[in-house]
This record gives sequence, C-alpha cells and structure tokens, in this order.
Amino acid sequence: MRALVAAALLLAGAAAHGQDRAAVTVVDSLGRTVPVPGRVDRIISLEPEITRILVALGAGERLVGIDYFLRHHDHLFPLVFPKGSSLPLVSNQAQELAVEEAVRLRPDIVFSSPSEFRLAESIERKLDVPVVALASMGRFDGLLGEIRTLGRIVGREERAAALIAYFEETLRSVGRDSPSGRPAESRPSVYLAFWGSLVRTPVSYDPVVAAGGRNSASGLLPDHLGAPGATIPLEKLLVWDPDVILVQGNYPPEDRRVSVGSVLRDPRLASLRAVRSGRVHYTFGYWYWWDPALVLVETVYLSRLLRPGGGPGFDLAAEGDAVFEEFYGVEGAFSALCRILACHEWKTR
Amino acid sequence: MSGRHDSRTAALTVLAVVLPLALLVLALNVGAYRIPPKAVFTTIVGAVFPGAPEAGPSPYADILFRIRLPRLLLALFAGAALAVSGASLQALFRNPLVFEFSLGISHGAAFGAALSLVFLGRSVPPQAAAFVFALVAVLLVVAIAGRSPSQVVTVLLSGVIVSALFQALLSMVEVFADPYALQSLVFWLMGSLGQATWGDLAVTLPVIGAGVAVLVLMRWRLNVLSLGEDEARSLGVDTRRDKVLVIALAALITAAATAVMGVVSWIGLIVPHLVRLAVGADNRKVVPLSAGFGASLLLLADTIARGAAPFEIPVGILTSIVGIPFFIVLLKRSGRVWQ
Repeated sequence: MRALVAAALLLAGAAAHGQDRAAVTVVDSLGRTVPVPGRVDRIISLEPEITRILVALGAGERLVGIDYFLRHHDHLFPLVFPKGSSLPLVSNQAQELAVEEAVRLRPDIVFSSPSEFRLAESIERKLDVPVVALASMGRFDGLLGEIRTLGRIVGREERAAALIAYFEETLRSVGRDSPSGRPAESRPSVYLAFWGSLVRTPVSYDPVVAAGGRNSASGLLPDHLGAPGATIPLEKLLVWDPDVILVQGNYPPEDRRVSVGSVLRDPRLASLRAVRSGRVHYTFGYWYWWDPALVLVETVYLSRLLRPGGGPGFDLAAEGDAVFEEFYGVEGAFSALCRILACHEWKTR
Repeated sequence: MSGRHDSRTAALTVLAVVLPLALLVLALNVGAYRIPPKAVFTTIVGAVFPGAPEAGPSPYADILFRIRLPRLLLALFAGAALAVSGASLQALFRNPLVFEFSLGISHGAAFGAALSLVFLGRSVPPQAAAFVFALVAVLLVVAIAGRSPSQVVTVLLSGVIVSALFQALLSMVEVFADPYALQSLVFWLMGSLGQATWGDLAVTLPVIGAGVAVLVLMRWRLNVLSLGEDEARSLGVDTRRDKVLVIALAALITAAATAVMGVVSWIGLIVPHLVRLAVGADNRKVVPLSAGFGASLLLLADTIARGAAPFEIPVGILTSIVGIPFFIVLLKRSGRVWQ
C-alpha cells in the first residue's frame, strides 16, 4: 500500500511535470488575481506550509529553491522529503529573498507568505514571474483552499481533491467521535500555551474546535486578522480556569521554554481546574502555520484527549503514520517525528 | 517667591510618597480576575495578621500574592530605578538627553537576553545574561572614554559607539536565531512586567533599593558634579571617583530592572524632566522626587497595560506611545529649566 502511494505520487508528478496546460488564473490570500502559466516546472517556495503541500501533491520534484526555515529549523520536512536538504536556499532570516540566486534558478513561479504583504509585488517586479501569496492563516477552510489552489497551479487537481476528501472525511470521523456537535458551553474549555510562552495564545485554533473543545481565548482579538496570538495577563488564565491546558510541543524537549511539567509545578497555577485534575498536555501547534498531515493527526489526537471521560487510549504513532503515508507516501515519518519530539511521553488518554 | 517654591517642593515631596502608595492600592484592585475591594483588604490583612478573621478565599490570596503583588512591586522599584538613573546621569553629564540608552545599558541588556534566548538555552537565564551585558556595556564605555580631558563628551560618544556595537550584535543574533526563539526575543524586547516572580524579586529589589538609596544620598554631590569638573575639583570633590560611582550605580539599577522586565524606555527621560519643570534643576530635589514619580509612572502604565484590554499590551510599547508626544510637549515648554 505504502509503496503504491509513493509510486503513484511519483508517477502522477512525472506525468503532470512537463505537460502544457492552459494558463490558469488564481486569487491568492492577498486578494490578488494572478495569471499563472500552464506549464510550471520550476518552483521557488518561500512559505514552508506551501512547500509541504507541494510535496504532498507530488510536485516536490519541481522545487528549485526553498526557504531557510525548512532547511535549518524544521525537524519534520527532512523526514517527508529528504531531497529537500539538497535544494538551494533562497532566503535567510535577514533576507526575504536572495534575488540574484532566485534569478539564477529561473523559476516559473514563486510562492510567498501573505504575512509579508509587500513581498509578492516586490518579487514580481524584480523577477518578472508570477508570485502567489498563500497561507491557511490557521484555518481549516484556508488550508483546504490552499491545497485546492496549489493543485490547480501545478496541474494536480485530482491529487488535491483526494487529499481534501481524505482530510474532510477524517474530520467527519473525528466529529462523530467527539463532542463537537454539543453546545459550546458544554464543551471542555481549552487554553493553549503557544510560542514558548505561558501567556501567549492563539485566539482561534480550529483543531481544538474540531476535536470538540472550546478555545478559552476565542474572540480575544478580531477573527478577520487570521489566527494571531494574543498575550494575556496571567490572571486572565485564572479567570478562564480552563478544563484543559495544551502546551505547544512542536519543539524538541531541550528547546521547550514551557513544558507540561513547568505548568503543573507553577504555584501560581495550582488552583486551576486543569492543573488539579492533571489535564495539562502537549499538542503540536503551529510550525510556520501547518503541515497538512500533522494538523490532521493533531486533530485526531485532541479529539481523544477531549473526549468526555477520557475514552480508551490509542496508538498515536500508528494513527499518525497512517495519515502521513496518505499525504507523503513515506513510511514511519510520524513515528520518526515523535522520536524527536518525545511524543512517547505525551498522554494519549 | 522662594516661599511659594518651597511649599510647592513640600507638596511634591508628599505627593512623591503618597502617589506610589495610592497607585499600589489602586493597582491591587485592578486585574482580569475581579476581586471585590473588601476581599482585597481582608485577604491582605489576613496575610499580614494571621490571626485576623475573614481572609478571602484561596484564589484571591494566590492572585494577590503570587501574581499581582510581585508585578506591582517590580513596577515600583523598576520605575524608581529608571527615573533615578536618568536623573543622575543627566546631572552628571549636564545633558538633558542622557539616559540609560545613552550609555549602551539597554542595548547591552538586550544583547545579553538575546544571547540567552537564542543560543544558551536554559543554561543561562535571560535575566542573568541581560544583567551581565548591561554592566559590560558600561565598563566598555568607561574604558573607551578613559581619562580624556573632555570626558563628558567622550563618555557620551563612547556610549553611542557601545550602543551601536550592541545593536549590531543584537541584529546579528537575530539573523541566526531560530524563528521561534526570535519570537521570545521580540516579546522580551517589548518589555513586560507580567512574568515577575518572587524569585526574580529576591535579587532585583535589594539591588535596586540599595542603588537608588546611594544615588539619593549622593544628590548633594551630583549638584557639585553638575557644576563642571574644574569647579567640582576646586570644591574638593574627587570627580573621577564620584563619576565612576554614579555611572556604575545607574548602570547597576537599570540593568537589574531591565533584566527582569525587558526594555522599557522613556521613564528615565520623562520623569526627571517633569520634576525639573516643577522644582528646577536642583538635584537635591530632582533625584529623590524622580524616584517617587518614576515608580508611580511605571506602575500606572503597567496598570493600564493589564487593565485596559482583555489581552496584555507590552508596557514598553505603552510608555513609548505615551512618552514620545509627552516628551515633545515638555521639550517645547521646558527649555529654560536647563539654562
């Protein structure tokens, strides 16, 4: 099965690769209408989330330049696309795009982040190639729309549709098993300690909602801003008194500035319901927005954690590996990631 | 005329003592967790006098003593530290634009924190690294300035050089930073009192308290030093020793505050100017009054930062937004005070 998915990805990628198709026009996350040539053989991607989706679509072979984050800081990407480690870097922390290197790579298209709203126009002027700015902005509908748009651009519409269908079906099965259909007030309230801080939290986080929880910080900032983080005064956390606290675990243990243990030991938090009941757990969280497979695994994982009464334990590694195989056709990628993140220490019930 | 001036000074002295205490009481009652004023009172009385009846329920005590009080005490002490540091340095250098930024203290501290957050992991806390590099910055300034005859100008120029050096080093750290460490760094650089714990305060408050006390005691000498080197020497003051002492103490208390709360600007510039506007340039009055009003200003800013919105506004941003226009107005009106 695994070999079949991998082979299918490769064959489909090769088949679409080099085909001349009609030019398409897409509307990106900045609302820009961008005409894209029918033949997209050479891709530069400055947005890690897009790069991951391109690999999942089977268009990884067409990447000719990637962002520094994936090379230097992402422990997941080398597991799902080892060839990425030999691709030229076209950016670094201080430089959004190494223009001369980008020119040398002769891209047909450049993908960028809508967070850098002037970057797309700037690159387009300098390189005279179409630039599409896309991101999920931390929303499932945004992620699925991004997969669909990228599928159109690289001529992998069917693969995109298959991934979207798989994603939606998994969400539906999660919904059947979780209390997401229950009224908001009867769902467990969840506080997310993200970005290496106890007091920084995303004001919307779809995996929690899909898994049947209620984000305590929901509505703290206007929704139209995407999914920005807010910093809260610590006593706000005591006001919310959440049922569950989730700590971002997408860092290797040695890099975590906030851990489940530090939350449980913090005397200022001792009166919290989540701390008293021991419902402080890791979750994955953002990693330059999302990896489409990882966020799906996260949603499944959270649905088990938030299930009323805890429910039976489950094999996180096995479920994760299955999702990763579906997306990347790579065997054991999630298990390998879990070894880096020490997921075996995470509670799964 | 003199009598009116004296009564104004007396009134301001009372205000400099009463205002921080009044704001402390107010701030104890402000927060996301609503605690009725009566419960605040009974909880505190219950803690101070264990036999007293009617201590509030446990969450109140936790919030008041573990979250609010450390934060408010840090605001008071750090505000006093920044203002006294600014007042002392301005007197010493006879320059109204000198404050902790001018001697590289803030950028030194920022670089230290950046090193810790980005490269050193848990082995060196950012507070400790910020403190060390703030002191390194001042030592560098003193070393570069050396025994130059026009030392006031030389020290200021050395401060500019050292600030620029640490800014460049900070940018270099940012270039190599893991994006997630960079987020922590940016957050730290914005300044916040929210993470203050008793553990931090156990080190910070005594250092600031002692440093501020010595600078207040030196207010007479600051008047002499502000006359200029030759005149100060002719009055028997060891100018070199006193200068080094003032700079070292100003650096020490600023570094102690910055290390815990991050970079909070403008307090050291605004408060001494406000005080001079009210009482003139006499450092016997300016330095101690700056302590009281600096404490009040930072406490007020922090109370607004945590009470004005459901989320927290970094206090460093607030002091800059309020401070800059305020300073422009002051600058227009107070030029004559330094004449």
